[in-house]
Amino acid sequence: MALLDLVVPEVVKIPLVSKDKSGVLRELVAVLRDAGKIQDFDAVLRVVQDREDKQSTGLEEGIAVPHGKTPAVSTLQLAIGVAPDGIDFNSLDGKPTKLFFLLVGSPDQTGPHVQALADVARLARSKTLCRALAGAETREQVVELMRCE
Amino acid sequence: MRKPIQRIMVYIDGSEPSITGAQYAICLASLSGAELVACYIVNTTAVEELLRAKIFLRDEQIEYERDMEADAERYLNYVGDLAARKGVAIIREKGRGSVHKEIVEAVKRHDVDLLVVGELSQIRSRRDEFYSEAERAMRAAPCSVLIVKDEDRVSEMYESLA
Repeated sequence: MALLDLVVPEVVKIPLVSKDKSGVLRELVAVLRDAGKIQDFDAVLRVVQDREDKQSTGLEEGIAVPHGKTPAVSTLQLAIGVAPDGIDFNSLDGKPTKLFFLLVGSPDQTGPHVQALADVARLARSKTLCRALAGAETREQVVELMRCE
Repeated sequence: MRKPIQRIMVYIDGSEPSITGAQYAICLASLSGAELVACYIVNTTAVEELLRAKIFLRDEQIEYERDMEADAERYLNYVGDLAARKGVAIIREKGRGSVHKEIVEAVKRHDVDLLVVGELSQIRSRRDEFYSEAERAMRAAPCSVLIVKDEDRVSEMYESLA
């Protein structure tokens, strides 16, 4: 499954209301739950929180990629969040994080999971696109920016 | 006259469309008498990219590569079983590296006439970064390429194959 297949308005939240790291993770997992993408909120939250406990997935230039694998999902799931004012996510460059891509995959479908994460990594290298995404005001704008429709 | 299809290769990545592609390739191989190669590539290039991007930690790199190796075995076995049920033998091809490059190399190495891939995403992007590995392989393959669509129809065709 391509990353773009997962990008639908229902999995995008703008703006994120949380002001701290754990709140953002809960909010993003809740996006998946509310969109009907996951059933077990706690299992999904646990796997992404465990990964964050090892080292923050906050990269440079205001992007974070929380991720994990859990049998609680049968297929790869993506949630996107935008925090226009930025949140302290313990990022590598110490700057506030504005753009969040949460990816959770099934342990027996690692290939598509890795591919989707690599797609996000390439996306993160485009400062222009990341600025545009971080400045988006609606969920539909995020979808529009990533797709060609 | 040389048979138009003597060796088919199907690319599988564990996704449902790729399994549908495998079912179609099994039907084609059975009906045409062509040999069938099932190919799974462990995407170590992407994993290394994730480590460089600092999205992965070193122990994650090891864990994900190990899981992908296990996926490769599991899905190659699964497609082997699907083929055996229809009396078709498969040649297993498991590679590591850049997926589209390894697919093209495998096509050349096995002298493949036809590459079969599962349905590609219908969503287009203005960004080259989002081309899938199957799409890249499709563009780069030196042989004809068949994209398999309509999971229900293919499943019915596979089940009805004697």
